[in-house]
Amino acid sequence: MILMQTKAIFIDAYRELNAKKLFWLTMGLNVLVVALYASLGINAKGFTILHWTFDSDFMNTSFISRELFYKIQFTSWGVPIWLSWATTILALISTAGIIPDMVSGGTIEPMLSKPIGRVRFFLSKYLTGLLFVGLQIFVFATGCLLVLGIRAGTWEFGLFMAIPIVLAFFSYLFAFCVLVGLVTRSTIAALLLTILFWLLIFIANTGDAVMLSQREGAILRVEDRQVDVEVQERFAQKRLEQFREQDKPIPGEDDVPLPASATDTLSAVNPTLTTARNRLREAEDSVPVWQAWSKRVFLLKTVLPKTQETIALLERHLISDDELSELMKLGANQQSTDENQPAMADPRVPERVAVIMRARTIWWVLGTSFAFEALFIGLSTLIFVRRDF
Amino acid sequence: MDAVIDVSGVEKMYRRKVHALRGVDLQVGGGEIFGLLGPNGAGKSTLVKVLLTVIKPTRCTGSLLGSKIGNKSVLREVGYLPEHHNFPKYLTSRQVLRHFGAMAGVERKTRNNRAEELLEIVNMSEWAAHKLGTYSKGMRQRIGIAQALMNDPKLVVLDEPTDGVDPIGRRDIREILLRLKSEGRTVFLNSHLLSELEMVCDRVAIMVHGLMRQQGTIEELTEGQSGYKIKAGSTIDASAIDASKDAVRGVECVAEPGTNEITFKTCDAQAVQPAIDTLRQRGVVIESFGFHRPSLEKLFIQAVNEQPDGARPGAEKGKGGARS
Repeated sequence: MILMQTKAIFIDAYRELNAKKLFWLTMGLNVLVVALYASLGINAKGFTILHWTFDSDFMNTSFISRELFYKIQFTSWGVPIWLSWATTILALISTAGIIPDMVSGGTIEPMLSKPIGRVRFFLSKYLTGLLFVGLQIFVFATGCLLVLGIRAGTWEFGLFMAIPIVLAFFSYLFAFCVLVGLVTRSTIAALLLTILFWLLIFIANTGDAVMLSQREGAILRVEDRQVDVEVQERFAQKRLEQFREQDKPIPGEDDVPLPASATDTLSAVNPTLTTARNRLREAEDSVPVWQAWSKRVFLLKTVLPKTQETIALLERHLISDDELSELMKLGANQQSTDENQPAMADPRVPERVAVIMRARTIWWVLGTSFAFEALFIGLSTLIFVRRDF
Repeated sequence: MDAVIDVSGVEKMYRRKVHALRGVDLQVGGGEIFGLLGPNGAGKSTLVKVLLTVIKPTRCTGSLLGSKIGNKSVLREVGYLPEHHNFPKYLTSRQVLRHFGAMAGVERKTRNNRAEELLEIVNMSEWAAHKLGTYSKGMRQRIGIAQALMNDPKLVVLDEPTDGVDPIGRRDIREILLRLKSEGRTVFLNSHLLSELEMVCDRVAIMVHGLMRQQGTIEELTEGQSGYKIKAGSTIDASAIDASKDAVRGVECVAEPGTNEITFKTCDAQAVQPAIDTLRQRGVVIESFGFHRPSLEKLFIQAVNEQPDGARPGAEKGKGGARS
């Protein structure tokens, strides 16, 4: 009977989706985006859109294989922009009403008077909310698989990893939406507060990226300035030896006082060393500050669902570390280090940040996010089980 | 006759403020049509929801079909039509019946056959493939009743089944109820339409302010208030009333001064004949003579007007009472 009831709940959910224009509108847009994906290409000269070729020094088959080109498109905008933003917003609009509608008078009573436990009924309903996104991603991933197979000659079934990954991402937001919908019984409140919550996560993600960039930029600057100090010290050492060979009086020794600007003999013979040391100290002072802020934001992110990192798991799955490194170098080669720019503007920073992000464990990404989701769903279930209708 | 519903001391307090049920005792036997009456806010729907696990009681002892109240598995044998139901409008009536059949644990083949059978019974076969969103209220009510019968229940609980239904539809529903009874099912009705209940119910209960005021057959409830009524063509004077009272000794007589009616509270027509003779001898023209029983409506109004200590109106949730 459990299977029969669960099947009935899912069939009903599908019929509900089927009756919604937004579901089919999103499906149509999905097909359109896949068509756009198929219209893109790459050849020896550059990248192509339909039959037009746009010459590029970097975006051509000498640097990027066709397979990698399509994978990059899929992981750089197909999933993070189309599925994670556009489809998610449309999905939230479509599903925010599931729980408020379910608990409305006249709808819930016939269901609760059936031989099904409240916990199972509620959790089944929650899962039906994920059906919208599941079906949309399935269609999108299948379309992209065909494009990759036909245009790049690679049948990358790993694209289907997008289904559980985007579903996990959506489920974090939906868990919040369900709780608000249950408490307020309002679709509008559920939708708006969920979008607000999503904005909070986005701010935390941006804050994390900024703090990490600042921290890594500061560390790189310290490393650069340490090298600079070492160069200046070697230069000062050489000058000191020249002074000794020429029997010149050495400041700080031979009763020759140090100049006011110098702190030791080396800086006395090479005044640039003092400047280099001061700049190093300055850079070293900024590192603990950014480390502390980065840690704070990391802790905040630990308790929040990791939307960005969850989506990035797909990139981890499809693009290897070597491929990523090549791509980062390709980008970094086009820029040069400028001492006058802020530390985070260092072209080596994005690669280091990307490596750190990639090094975050799947347990941290999914485990803590699912813990958040479980907490919200558990709370919602408790409210649902205890409530009189 | 085993009790299908047997509960006592049912209490429900909402948020420690609204006392919706104040210790309700209720017994409903198998195979009968039982009507629960009460004004808005009396606690009727709350009581039904407590029985069907939609609401958790503050206190309740007893059983439903032999199982403890709150036991979900027994609901396989119960059909329920809630008041103001709102079945999915995107489903056709056939889909609604099959869906709720599946939720009640009815096997696929059985529920498909049963759905067609019930659509026939509620005269909705022609509309089986149309979505509920296109139905009138009466049509939705018919589908609601069919839905309550999908699991071939032993107990059918119908909350205002004739709500929004036209007279023809009401007659059809009455026929369905009598058919259910003839099949040996127990029907529990919640309704405001006293005349409807009077026509089909074997027993009724009147609930006011969360308390069960009266319970029994209509005959039992009207006992002591029924009797033979003599109606004259004109006002009966006081001396004629006294004389007729003297003619029928040992039987309580009700007659208001200046009225043209005298009622003797007895079921024996022969015993009242001397009163008719006496009135005729005094020149009173008898217009009619017959057995009179107070209507359910009169009983209901009497029960509602008897205000118990501590009771206050508007105690039921969401039904025009204090919480609505």
